[in-house]
Amino acid sequence: MTAVPETLLDVRDLLIRFRTHDGTIYAVNGISFQLARGERLGLVGESGCGKSVTNLGIIRLLPKPAGRIEGGQVLFDGVDLVTMAESDVREIRGRDIAMIFQDPMTSLNPVLTVQEQMVETIQAHKKVDRKAAIARAVELLGMVGIPQPEKRLKSYPHQFSGGMRQRVMIAMALALEPKLMIADEPTTALDVTIQAQVLELISRLTTETETSLILITHDLGVVAGMTDRINVMYAGFIVETATTGDLFERPSHPYTVGLLHSMPRVDAREGDPLIPIEGRPPDMRNEPRGCPFAPRCAWRVPACWSENPGLAPLTEGVAIVGTGPSATHRIACHNPPLPDEAEIGRPTRAGHAPAPAPAGEMDELASMAAIADGVA
Amino acid sequence: MAHHAARIGETLLEVRDLKVWFPITEGLIRERHVGDVRAVDGVTFSLNRGETLGLVGESGCGKSTTGRAIVRLYKPTAGSILFDGQDVSGVEGAALRRLRRRFQMIFQDPYASLDPRMTAGGTIGEPLDVHEVGTKAERREKVRDLLSTVGLNPEYGNRYPHEFSGGQRQRIGVARALALDPDLIVADEPISALDVSIQAQVINLLERLQERLGLTYLFIAHDLSVVRHISDRIAVMYLGRIVELAPSRELNLRPLHPYSVALLSAVPIPDPKVERRRRRIILRGDVPSPVNPPTGCHFHTRCWLRERLGNPERCSAEIPALRELSTGHEVACHFAEDVDGSPEQIQSTGRGGAGTVPGGPGWNAIPGATSSDPGAYDDPLISDGPQPDVQLIPDSSMLLDLPDTRPVYPPRSDEA
Repeated sequence: MTAVPETLLDVRDLLIRFRTHDGTIYAVNGISFQLARGERLGLVGESGCGKSVTNLGIIRLLPKPAGRIEGGQVLFDGVDLVTMAESDVREIRGRDIAMIFQDPMTSLNPVLTVQEQMVETIQAHKKVDRKAAIARAVELLGMVGIPQPEKRLKSYPHQFSGGMRQRVMIAMALALEPKLMIADEPTTALDVTIQAQVLELISRLTTETETSLILITHDLGVVAGMTDRINVMYAGFIVETATTGDLFERPSHPYTVGLLHSMPRVDAREGDPLIPIEGRPPDMRNEPRGCPFAPRCAWRVPACWSENPGLAPLTEGVAIVGTGPSATHRIACHNPPLPDEAEIGRPTRAGHAPAPAPAGEMDELASMAAIADGVA
Repeated sequence: MAHHAARIGETLLEVRDLKVWFPITEGLIRERHVGDVRAVDGVTFSLNRGETLGLVGESGCGKSTTGRAIVRLYKPTAGSILFDGQDVSGVEGAALRRLRRRFQMIFQDPYASLDPRMTAGGTIGEPLDVHEVGTKAERREKVRDLLSTVGLNPEYGNRYPHEFSGGQRQRIGVARALALDPDLIVADEPISALDVSIQAQVINLLERLQERLGLTYLFIAHDLSVVRHISDRIAVMYLGRIVELAPSRELNLRPLHPYSVALLSAVPIPDPKVERRRRRIILRGDVPSPVNPPTGCHFHTRCWLRERLGNPERCSAEIPALRELSTGHEVACHFAEDVDGSPEQIQSTGRGGAGTVPGGPGWNAIPGATSSDPGAYDDPLISDGPQPDVQLIPDSSMLLDLPDTRPVYPPRSDEA
């Protein structure tokens, strides 16, 4: 009944490294995912998990010379962006792929009026005269809910509040009717009621214009209401991918389960304890070996220390669907939590103990337990 | 530290009509006073021993200024701060320094609030040195104790801040605050700078410490879900004033100020099913300037309820006082009764189920409310394809579809 959704973006085995004086940073370690036209994908993870670097890799804006795509393909509309000439990428950036960043103050030029910046953007990609470009800018500002757009166009970025600046960014991003919008923590710098305004706006405008969306955030609450599908990232790997409904219905990777249990919810029951993920994320300067989450994982088995599991369907043997509402729920885990364990947030099966760390590996669980014993 | 625990429940702090205004001046040679930023504009609340009061609101609402005025990093412009019965609002000099032992602060940014050239042990021990507590050897021992109390290896005392992660630095900040056995700890956004998985570690630490040491917390944060988790009572601030003060559970089940309702509705809940049932109240525009706050009720310029009621004169003419509408639940709104039972109120909480609040007139007032329709999620209207599921005036029939099977819990006891 539903037609197979047309793939807009196809990321294959993307490998991104930073070569620095301090050594190599293994930022993105061979991730693959697809995005259909009109689909809204959430990329969730904590600082340093590679979600922003993935985005910068896709649009070829990695900081040079340290950041490099060292493998894989990024097929956008069938064309590989990784091997494309810089001048062609520049064409696509802005016109076909638009970006919104976390801090609108640093992405707008403080010494130019909003009008100059918007007109420049429009004229860079479209052969229109200045008057038409200004008219389009007024229309866009009106669309994102800025009162008196003609007048506000003459303002400088600092004359706008944070929420208004983010609206200007959205207006500029939409100026050229992109096929894909990448929003990297678009509301993290904003207050919660302003966040609601901006999310509502992004949601409404991308739906109206059938623009695909990649929403990068650390906040599972934000993606819950905003996306169709979610990739959970940890240490440069996708550890779980599913439709938004499936992911929250049955979170199945220990890290996803951990994230959900470490966030307080406004609708939580009184006295529900938080179960933190002990320890801290791995040092990305070490070459990944075994499952990156093993040192913090209560479900780990011996294999986790030596072998990094690939993304595999939750139900064995099913065909993999990459996008759309019937996308396959996949996880990268040797010993996934059972549904009732996911519910309470810790392993309950009889006889299970986290596999001890081999010599030379950091065991975050054991070191936390040792300190806790010391306190008591 | 048993002396704290023994007096749990007594009033520790009483803030009355606190005002903190920052003068704006013009002119280089002769500074003329041209106005004031009214950061805190008449705040009244009290705090009992062993209790956690959450102070929540958006940037610029005056929550941090209130906290800093209480620990006397700012001098209040007017009002009184009774700390253990003594007015500390005008205390200066050596007397203030002595008082400072009893209230400590934990700051937001663990990167900025630690001296990079001082070891963790030095930072934690500095308050002990300043107040000349014990002998040198005793202080060293105390520092080791404090490190293990906050879950750090006591051997880490010799390390410098850059050798610690964000979460560990915040533990150092907590240890420093504990060094002098304070009665009150003002925690100003203590977890906002930390990653999600680390936040829970610090929250749990603060809770354990409170249980063990009988601490009293003023917990300042912008994130209602965090505040709700840790607080016994919550005060919601808007533009320098407290608009609502209620037990934590009550505020989240039954917010009675239009601003609290909007704030609650804007907090995303990590559950798409719940999100689908909720409707955000999108407030128009930004918070007005505290230099020229609106007359009457500060919130009236953005209030959805005022608009609904046909913009009554009273909102812009008369400052609403905090009124107690049920036990311990105070609201500063002339029309708070109209909030109760409104679709906005119910939708903001994310719990469709009616009847979860014992008592409460109007709680079940939504006509046609059914709470046992399991098929409601398959309503094509709400589950078919991507939809902009945010609108101002919601259809309440969509919301009341999930039976609330959660037990009603008694209010949390302060005794550990």
